[in-house]
Amino acid sequence: MNRNFSQTITVRCDDPAPLLALIAEWDLNQSTGEIMGYMGTRVLADREKLGHYMIIADFGVVDPNVSAADEAARNNARPETRAFAERVREIIDGEPEYHHFDEIYRTDR
Amino acid sequence: MDSDRTVGIDDHDVDEVTLVARGIATAVAPEGGLTDVQAELLEAIASALTGVSVDYRTLEPLGPEEYADILSGRDIVYRRRIVHHMVLGELVLRPIPVVVAHRVATYALALGVNDDFVRVARRYAQGAYGLAWMDLQRNGFVEHVREASGEEPSDKVAPRGSAADPFEPAQVDPELAARWSAFEGLPPESLGRSVWEMYDGRGFGFPGTPGGAPKYLAQHDFVHVLADYGTNLKGELEVFGFIGRADPDPKGFAWLATLIGLFETGYISSAGFFDRDVRERNIRAPGMLQRVADAIGRGKVVCDRYGVDLFEVDYYDLAARPVGELRELLGLPAKSTAAIEGGSAGLFDLEGMSEHQRRVVAQRRGDET
Repeated sequence: MNRNFSQTITVRCDDPAPLLALIAEWDLNQSTGEIMGYMGTRVLADREKLGHYMIIADFGVVDPNVSAADEAARNNARPETRAFAERVREIIDGEPEYHHFDEIYRTDR
Repeated sequence: MDSDRTVGIDDHDVDEVTLVARGIATAVAPEGGLTDVQAELLEAIASALTGVSVDYRTLEPLGPEEYADILSGRDIVYRRRIVHHMVLGELVLRPIPVVVAHRVATYALALGVNDDFVRVARRYAQGAYGLAWMDLQRNGFVEHVREASGEEPSDKVAPRGSAADPFEPAQVDPELAARWSAFEGLPPESLGRSVWEMYDGRGFGFPGTPGGAPKYLAQHDFVHVLADYGTNLKGELEVFGFIGRADPDPKGFAWLATLIGLFETGYISSAGFFDRDVRERNIRAPGMLQRVADAIGRGKVVCDRYGVDLFEVDYYDLAARPVGELRELLGLPAKSTAAIEGGSAGLFDLEGMSEHQRRVVAQRRGDET
């Protein structure tokens, strides 16, 4: 079974525009880069807590012998990913909060 | 046009063609074996390119290392085209199984081929349609295809940030527009007059005018005239299958792969304007596999005889010459019987137009009477 994996990153910032620009730049680079598990990102704004955002990065299987979670772990170890995380830290308030999930249901599958 | 379809088809050994087919079939087969569309498409292409008929459903498997050994004497262009056939075999699947996309990548690696569309197909298989879409958008293809789908043309003069070299955004260019308008005064049956009639009849804006096609993409409209293909999506599949294979550089495959990815399998239907076209199932329509295969076959003949990327030809310099003469210059063969019986429409046939184009033609004809 090709089970997807998602990483959520909860952050705080006054202006989300630089964050969104950074993620869009990341996506553009990923679209033509080496194939890996990264599938894309959603950013959600918290309606109750202004200035709080949840970034959801999805990972999928590209090699039948490697799980999506392992693809994410490999991605995490890449220098460009670490550099990206540093740039995120520079534009948010406080520390990001990470959580990791296996996808167990999706409507459009 | 040259009606002898054996001209330009290389002498192919049946055993060699079968070996090549075995590798392709093994690479693209889903768990349950090749689908009917895969088998028929690959068979039609093999037949159009080699004249050899292969039953893809009954081939013995052939692994990537052994396949690479067999093709080791072939140059990179040949091997890359083989990989493109594999990608085509993938793209008609929905969904593309991850194991198939990964296997094709394994074959490509064994063959020493690094190709963008192997990656795009893997993204489709993964479900990363957004990333694949971003990759495809870079070629500036969207607006042109959107028009071919029968939708109202949008304002193409507006800068499109995603357009990248060599697809510059359309520019208002009075000099270019004047050159296209002047085609009206050229003799009947000339390339320039014919392309003018195509634009005028369908209400297309001339390149260089507000809303007109980008100059680069307008190059392929001359090919619609020369190869006599319609301008609906089925015609676009034919014309870009033809152009792609006529290009001595295998990069031309991107055109057909993009069209199939966009409209046949609808991998990026979430972008909003592809649903109707996906429902039409253009490549699965009766006769279309033969039409596309024939277009690829004609392209190969032109590649062998003319050897120039048809997007790079100076058609303006050729515009006054008769279409028939230019077809001879290109070594362009006639459509095959199978393509014609499959419904391949000519440029000025109503069957070769989208509904929107037909409405414009009907309106203009009505205005003239």
